[in-house]
Amino acid sequence: MNVTRREFIQITGATAAGLAVSGLGIGLSPVKSHAQMLKTKYAKETSTICCYCAVGCGAIVHTSQKGDGRVINIEGDPDHIINKGSLCPKGAALSQLTENSNRLLDPMYRAPYAKEWKPVSWEWALSEIAKRIQETRDSSFQHKNEKKQIVNRAMGIASVGSAAMDNEECWIYQALMRALGLVYIEHQARI
Amino acid sequence: MTNHWIDIRNSDCILIMGSNAASNHPISFKYVTEAQKRGAKLISVDPRFTQTSAKADIYAPLRSGTDIAFLGGMINYILDKKLYNEEYVKNYTNAPFIVGKDYSFKNGLFSGYRKNPPASVTAGGYDKSKWAFELDNNGVPKMDRNLSNSRCVFQLLKKHYSRYNTKLVSKITGTPEQDLLTVYKTYAATGAKGKAGTSMYAMGWTQHTVGVQNIRTMAIIQLLLGNMGVAGGGINALRGESNVQGSTDHCLLWHIWPGYLKTPRSSDDTLDAYLKRWTPASKDPMSANWWQNTPKYMVSLLKSYFGDKATKENEFGYQWMPKVDDGKDYSWLTLFDEMYKGTFKGFMAWGQNPACSGSNANKNRKAMAKLDWMVNVNIFDNETGSFWRGPGMNPSTIKTEVFMLPCCVSVEKEGSITNSGRWMQWRYQGPKPLGNSLSDGHIIMQLGHKIKELYKKQGALPEPILNLKWDYETHGHFDSHKVAKEINGYFHEDVEIQGVLYKKGTLVPNFTKLQADGSTSSANWLYCNSYTEKGNMAARKGLEDAPNKIGLYPDFAWCWPLNRRIIYNRASVDPKGQPYDTQDWVIRWTGNKWIGDVPDGGWPPLQNLDGTLNPKSKYPFIMRKHGYGQIFGPGLTDGPFPEHYEPLECPVETNYMNPKQKISPVAPVYLTEADLTTEGTCDPRFPYVCSTYRVTEHWQTGLMTRPQPWLLELQPQVFVEMSEELSKLRGIKNGERVMVSSARGTLECTAIVTQRFKPFKIGGTIVHEVGVPWHFGWRWPEKGTEDSINLLTPPTGDPNTRIPETKAFMVNITKL
Amino acid sequence: MSNSFFIDTTLCTACRACQVACKQWHDLPAEITQNRGTYENPPDVSFNTYKVVRMRENVIDGKLNWLFFPEQCRHCIEPPCQDIAGDENAIYTDAKTGAVIYTANTKYLNFEEIREACPYNIPRKSSDGTMAKCDMCNDRVHNGLLPACVQTCPTGAMNFGKREEMLDLAQKRLLEVKAKYPKAELIDPNDVRVIYLVAYEPTLYHEFAIASNAAFDMTRQVALRKIFRPLKNIASHLF
Repeated sequence: MNVTRREFIQITGATAAGLAVSGLGIGLSPVKSHAQMLKTKYAKETSTICCYCAVGCGAIVHTSQKGDGRVINIEGDPDHIINKGSLCPKGAALSQLTENSNRLLDPMYRAPYAKEWKPVSWEWALSEIAKRIQETRDSSFQHKNEKKQIVNRAMGIASVGSAAMDNEECWIYQALMRALGLVYIEHQARI
Repeated sequence: MTNHWIDIRNSDCILIMGSNAASNHPISFKYVTEAQKRGAKLISVDPRFTQTSAKADIYAPLRSGTDIAFLGGMINYILDKKLYNEEYVKNYTNAPFIVGKDYSFKNGLFSGYRKNPPASVTAGGYDKSKWAFELDNNGVPKMDRNLSNSRCVFQLLKKHYSRYNTKLVSKITGTPEQDLLTVYKTYAATGAKGKAGTSMYAMGWTQHTVGVQNIRTMAIIQLLLGNMGVAGGGINALRGESNVQGSTDHCLLWHIWPGYLKTPRSSDDTLDAYLKRWTPASKDPMSANWWQNTPKYMVSLLKSYFGDKATKENEFGYQWMPKVDDGKDYSWLTLFDEMYKGTFKGFMAWGQNPACSGSNANKNRKAMAKLDWMVNVNIFDNETGSFWRGPGMNPSTIKTEVFMLPCCVSVEKEGSITNSGRWMQWRYQGPKPLGNSLSDGHIIMQLGHKIKELYKKQGALPEPILNLKWDYETHGHFDSHKVAKEINGYFHEDVEIQGVLYKKGTLVPNFTKLQADGSTSSANWLYCNSYTEKGNMAARKGLEDAPNKIGLYPDFAWCWPLNRRIIYNRASVDPKGQPYDTQDWVIRWTGNKWIGDVPDGGWPPLQNLDGTLNPKSKYPFIMRKHGYGQIFGPGLTDGPFPEHYEPLECPVETNYMNPKQKISPVAPVYLTEADLTTEGTCDPRFPYVCSTYRVTEHWQTGLMTRPQPWLLELQPQVFVEMSEELSKLRGIKNGERVMVSSARGTLECTAIVTQRFKPFKIGGTIVHEVGVPWHFGWRWPEKGTEDSINLLTPPTGDPNTRIPETKAFMVNITKL
Repeated sequence: MSNSFFIDTTLCTACRACQVACKQWHDLPAEITQNRGTYENPPDVSFNTYKVVRMRENVIDGKLNWLFFPEQCRHCIEPPCQDIAGDENAIYTDAKTGAVIYTANTKYLNFEEIREACPYNIPRKSSDGTMAKCDMCNDRVHNGLLPACVQTCPTGAMNFGKREEMLDLAQKRLLEVKAKYPKAELIDPNDVRVIYLVAYEPTLYHEFAIASNAAFDMTRQVALRKIFRPLKNIASHLF
């Protein structure tokens, strides 16, 4: 039975347990083949650091080099000096975070008073957001505070996030927010 | 962490308190286990018997919110039995400092307390000048190295904690006296030279109205026992998000700028004024006072923000940047308070889910409906982006526009993150982003370009936006290497330093080369040395250990500062530079240089071989103005010594330690109609203590784990754990759904009736405690039956950090 | 010589990474579960769940213990399930690794017989009758990798290697932990390839932690089956 990873994910997402999988397990091959081929044999290997807690465990990502180019396996990196191949249950499930039918795949927009989302293009979403930012920043901009001290800040916008971003992303994010004049800049470290 | 994960294995005694590391940092237990196999003792102190407790040699229960009483008792024990490292205490801590005559502690208050007007968020505040040290004519703190002066820190410490006798401590914490003594005796044994004790803590210590002081109490213990700077020692915050260390270092926080520089205040009207105010000055030539370098770091940061547009003439762009008002708070709780009051039109929730993660989340959810627009960037739809269709919401009455942007997951992009041990590690792209999702970096860059385009035409104060250096792309895509290099920093001119010429355009080798004249940039001085002309240090994978073989692995990844794996390591040696622990030594003075870890500065040891003082040396605690570990901490909002105060909501009528001051006199308590509390009373409607925590199978609000079937299989529903005794009292059966309620909200949970919770005996009465994990929300699982315990948590927090008090509040439990 | 697991329950923290790593490697779907008043989930091993960490609260000598037991197939040295199946195309032992392997042909076997033959109550079936259980990650082992559950284990509770090495490790750890847990023992070390070290009476961990006394005696059923076994299967035993 040859079920691709993504089909498998779809099946998992859509059906009750146990329904769809007979024969998926490696050991269920009807013929004896001891020297089985690993599912990861022809995959691209990259190293990553787990995205959950801050132990910083290393993991190996196996990405298919054929077809959809998606992840087929993620497991602990035995050469990582901290975790030496081990991962906790969240880390062990990293492939399901990646290949997950619940993921958002397109920008979505909810209009005032609307009851649902509608998918929109990146171009439209980012242009509209930029407009909102400019309108709100400029209308709430304080050059001076009550004491007439120069403060150059935008009081109408607040930002939270994110410890889930890479260092480089964090840095450019705070740079952009501060250049806009935001002072309400907070994130996970505060909670 | 002052130390790092692998180093836990070097410990002789591990105190896990305020954390359930076995569950929430499971890989830490690789090293806890290794230490135990080498004979280390593991102590677990927790209101609930956890997976950590199950592996511990000693378990002691305590009521949530009483850690200072518990640890204050340990300070008393250590001093009473003289178990401290006297040489260390005299030479490396401020125990000998003389405190000014204005300092006092009476009736639960330190000197200098002033009440605020009624209806203020904080009831009062302290004039900290009353706690200042006495200085000599040169401006150096006066000391009594014999520790006998009645106003020296050591004697004040003794006096303060002599009140924390085990009987009284037990009455407050509910810990049996015998258990207290067992813990004290076992841990205090690490005061012996060559022994190391470590502290592993997490949000169990921070999420209190006395959060900072919980950690301070442990820091005092570690300084007394000589456990700071040594292998297997330290104060180790087990941080909970993969890059919460890095995002804190880069300061996605209102009060600090990258590298822990102070956010400019409105009174800092020029760059010079800013630098004058925030650069500490020490009059002691032997104090390294590292923050004296603040001008180099600040100017280099401004050069990174604005590149060539930052010039000496325009104060490197300082005036373009926003200033906060002096004395005002802009932190998380205040942010949502302002949002609730309608202050903001726009809100960015970037990779965060405040509809579930914020304390008193009902208020946060209502606040979001007051916004005109929200940008929500995430991997999955979530309770924040979809707040308008959440429980109790009527979309047709909610005006807020929401833009929900799909970001990719971490294995679909390239960049670095920094772990709890300060290790910066590089990770690579596996697959491409799924669907039309994009990396956060790419989204931020594109948004920046769009905004810049608009401001080219018009807009208020366009300079900071137009001049912001924004060239971190290659072929139109975000390039993390370009930012990583900027974070490290460049020479912007040819610069000669100590006879070496550094060419314009090259990467700065380390932060000792940064300049205050605009000739260097560095987007974060702490990371200067992470990406140099030698390459990307964070990407290194060398498996060779350092000569001392204590698991430093200096060629694996890179850590700040300067690849120093154990900070304060110059306190791991005696004044002659020889390690206290000759086996697991961190650094050692060979007579002309240090070997082992990168030392905290290369100066020679404090004493020459004959015991005379070496004036070329510097005191080991180089980040402190005076160079000493701070047993007395005069800079905190709530007092120079930690003191036991009850949580805002608590099960006792009296603070047995301070009958006249029940709760922290300076804790913030928010005041809108959405901020109901039972402050000051034992409200019979909510008789049980509740704490929140995590389980190993989910993460934070669960937003990244609840949409995953494998993890949901393991922990499918929000639950409330309670003792068998409480279940009998309330007629609740194991596994049935119950209602948990506080003054602020209700939550349906599945009851887990367990022997792992036991009722506490507090001051002669029985107090029950329950616990609920905080990972759930209505969006996932899709049935919508679960929600967040933060709907119940209180609108208060630590006076220093304003981290909310989600670890101790009062609830009721009823059968459904 | 084949391989064995050594599972040191004194080091298990019940993080359940082994449960997930098993599903991840084998591409097994999640089960729809509910909280039943315990952390333990799914409630049992199944066709889609080869591994369940059992968690039991026990007060022993006046002290509360939380005992963890990562349950899985023991890969018996003389597997009763294999004996009673009597069909090497359905259940066989990989002589090189020692893995007891169930193939798709298990759907032609009598499930109740197989399950009852197991001293540890491990085999489970799907709706079409196909049986499944831990396969020792035989594909990984053949390719020089550790079983997924062993590789992921944070504390060293799960170990895997050559049988002699695992037996040595088990004896060494038994001696070490005896100082703290005088009642510590190894469970059925001579009969199985998954050797558990427990600190207390095995049944305190899980009903089926230890084989019942008679389990490794030839049951009447197995004896009968052996007598009447079709010739082809006897022949296959002679290899």
